[in-house]
Amino acid sequence: MSSFNDIEPPKLSPQLGAIHPINQVKDFLIDLLQDYGFTAVDGPEIESEEFNFDMLNIKKTHPARQMHDTFYVNNKTKVLRTHTSPVQIRSMLDSNPPLAITSAGKVFRKDDDATHLPMFHQVEGMYIDEQVTFSQLKDLIHKIIYAIFGSEIQIRFRPSYFPFTEPSAEVDILSENGKWLEVLGCGIINPLVLENCKIDSNKYSGLAFGLGVERIAMLKYGVNDIRDFYKSNLDFLNQFK
Amino acid sequence: MKFLYKDLLNFLSEKPAKELLSEKLFQLGHEHEIADDIFDMELTPNRGDCLSLNGLARELNVFFGKVQPYKIFEGDIPPLDFNFKNLCKDACPKISFLEIEIEDGIALYKPYLENYFSLLGNNKVNFFTDVSNYISYELGQPTHCFDAKTIDNQLIFENRVCDESFKTLLESNINLEGKNCIFSVDNKILSLAGVMGGKSTACSSQTRKTIIECAYFKPEEIIGKSIKYNLVSDAAHKFERGVDIEAQEKVLRRFIAIVQDHAVIKNFKIQTFNDVEHKQYSIPIDLERVNKILGIDIEKEKYLMILNKLGFEINNNVLNVPSYRHDISSQNDLAEEIARVLGYDNIKNKPIEIKNNLNENIKHTSKVKNFLVQNGFSEVINFPFTSVKDKKSITIDNPLDSNKSHLRRSLKYSLLENLQFNERRQNDSIKLFEISDIYSRDDHINQEKKLGIIISGRRGHNYADFSKKLDFNYLNQILNEGLDNNIFNIEEISRADLKTKKKDKIFYTEVLIENIPPDIYKDYSFNKEKINFIKYQPVSEFPSSVRDFSFSIVDFKKYNMVIELISNFDDDILKDAYFFDFYENKKLQEIKVGVRLIFQSVLCTLSEEEIQKTIHRLLKPILDLEGVSVPGL
Repeated sequence: MSSFNDIEPPKLSPQLGAIHPINQVKDFLIDLLQDYGFTAVDGPEIESEEFNFDMLNIKKTHPARQMHDTFYVNNKTKVLRTHTSPVQIRSMLDSNPPLAITSAGKVFRKDDDATHLPMFHQVEGMYIDEQVTFSQLKDLIHKIIYAIFGSEIQIRFRPSYFPFTEPSAEVDILSENGKWLEVLGCGIINPLVLENCKIDSNKYSGLAFGLGVERIAMLKYGVNDIRDFYKSNLDFLNQFK
Repeated sequence: MKFLYKDLLNFLSEKPAKELLSEKLFQLGHEHEIADDIFDMELTPNRGDCLSLNGLARELNVFFGKVQPYKIFEGDIPPLDFNFKNLCKDACPKISFLEIEIEDGIALYKPYLENYFSLLGNNKVNFFTDVSNYISYELGQPTHCFDAKTIDNQLIFENRVCDESFKTLLESNINLEGKNCIFSVDNKILSLAGVMGGKSTACSSQTRKTIIECAYFKPEEIIGKSIKYNLVSDAAHKFERGVDIEAQEKVLRRFIAIVQDHAVIKNFKIQTFNDVEHKQYSIPIDLERVNKILGIDIEKEKYLMILNKLGFEINNNVLNVPSYRHDISSQNDLAEEIARVLGYDNIKNKPIEIKNNLNENIKHTSKVKNFLVQNGFSEVINFPFTSVKDKKSITIDNPLDSNKSHLRRSLKYSLLENLQFNERRQNDSIKLFEISDIYSRDDHINQEKKLGIIISGRRGHNYADFSKKLDFNYLNQILNEGLDNNIFNIEEISRADLKTKKKDKIFYTEVLIENIPPDIYKDYSFNKEKINFIKYQPVSEFPSSVRDFSFSIVDFKKYNMVIELISNFDDDILKDAYFFDFYENKKLQEIKVGVRLIFQSVLCTLSEEEIQKTIHRLLKPILDLEGVSVPGL
């Protein structure tokens, strides 16, 4: 190499940006569920109390409906949805079983501290058909968790309480440091919810599950502080290229 | 709720080890932590019946058997003629009053009572209140003790609109507003029913005659009061979740027995006001349905045995639900009972084949996003709350604070804040975008999905883009080139109102997603396999330091070596390094390569010495090469 003709300027590597890590995880989960046969549907973030609470068997007296837990808007005629579950109600009212939907998006709770944010993301799924059982729900949840965390991960199902499912369960995974970490809530859809949506609960049954996207992202990426996702710091965001 | 391991063992026939007890509590759905011999329970809100030793023992009966370790007063209790009026029987369908008078002299607390305070860290108040608190721990039923001499006229329970102050027994002054369930005498509020008693009628260490109120309050009437008035109370926690409407007499008989353990009782009397007969709830036995819900094949004998041990009475073809189980009303509830006892993890998985009447997935925005990412833009997500409003803004009725009282109508201000934040962090090339639903209001609530893009600073961190600025032409070329109409209207945002010394121009555009032609980014499909779960590195909060070096290379044979040494150099404090200049000086037969090094530590602000040490490590092998120099160094 003795002349300019032999010189290659330093390589111009493409300067890529990054999709937000929360949306990367959200899209990953939606794609996973679509592969299992679920159809992705969407719903509004401003919801009626009827769809956000009543139809889901969350009674007027439930603590979640208090002003200190839920954002009310438009002279208290609507709420910022507190979960993505109203999309299930809309889907059940719109379509007949068999029905398999997944929905993802922003949800809002009146909370703001080191471990809780007023806005976060959920992904959930619902399947309604004749004779959907708890043992099938377990099988599906195992598949989902193995797809996210690998097939070696240890899983634990615990009874829990959600007004819209019965039986209800929370699912934990065993972390590397030997602690159980909650990653998912699920259950058999409460027959009252099916009946609210004009679905014959003697003929049909259903399963439902929901994941917190931030929770999954924190575990997968090793992010310790949930607030880091929303500082819009390029030093943070550009790590997720 | 906290309990002592050995206290719960007293309620069980078998005496399981702590680990086994913990395992079974988890299996039944009762989360907890253990510190030494104390279990700290986190019970789901539908299981108020488990908020006591007796309640947990009822659950564990199915595994370990249950005994009644305590004595209750079994004899006759003379009737009380208590001057009481219930003006809201719907909120309080059942209430009992026990009057007890004791002689002076209270014995040292027996171990069961003493341990509740000394080992669980509860504060002693006075004898009667201490017994009341202990009984709530043991049996789950809150009681309230009035000093009898302070009730000098008719006691009234009512649910009325209040606008007055009330001093709690913890001496805090509460301004009651709106409708509240209260006890009053002569129209003066004595206590906030089901939440906290008042100072004026509270027992003291001198109290020898007390009236113990023991009630069932409807949860709906109590919910929200403790938060509204910032009163944390065990009673409210239990009444909100529902207590056992059948338990009052037994609880008061237990009260007498504990008092007898510690003092000489002069006399006692009781009166119960039971205005609504409790109707026992029954569910038909339908084993087939339960097996279908769970996907199992449990035998009838086992099914009945489990439910019986959980307190359900078998009556011909129906199951009578225990009065303390407010959460049971359907076959699905019974299925959960069976599943909890079998253990969720012991129910065998069965494969599922998903059938679906729907097949049209929502159109998502991944192609637009991928196009922008390929062009160096990074996505942000912002909260929708803002203080900026216009006539179409949607107002939040109960905002977190006044600066967050509306939903944003544009992504602009959020993105501008993001840009300034990154400028303050010494970022000199900023390209951000956000896609979000935006809401507005006229006759209806309208929803639109919008894309906002903002840029400012250098075009890029390489020698081709370093000296160029992100400007209108750059954005216009990227976004509008090849489109028939300029879909993206680009505006310059003035820095005049921004508190910044930066001079780089800011350009912004916002567009409705639906206005972007669907096929223009067709080559930017989302790659499912693309997600890479990297382990993120904490971001430094300390300032960075920049050093530029210009290498002069006259021996062209060394050129590749120089580039390689710089490109491969790595150090804990080197945040970034890039070639910002490349120049072939044909006249002087010299190649000039400009390198920018950015130093930053996650631990501290770097000293000049630390930076120079790293620079020396980089430069030494390069400057050892013949024909390579850094002029001026």
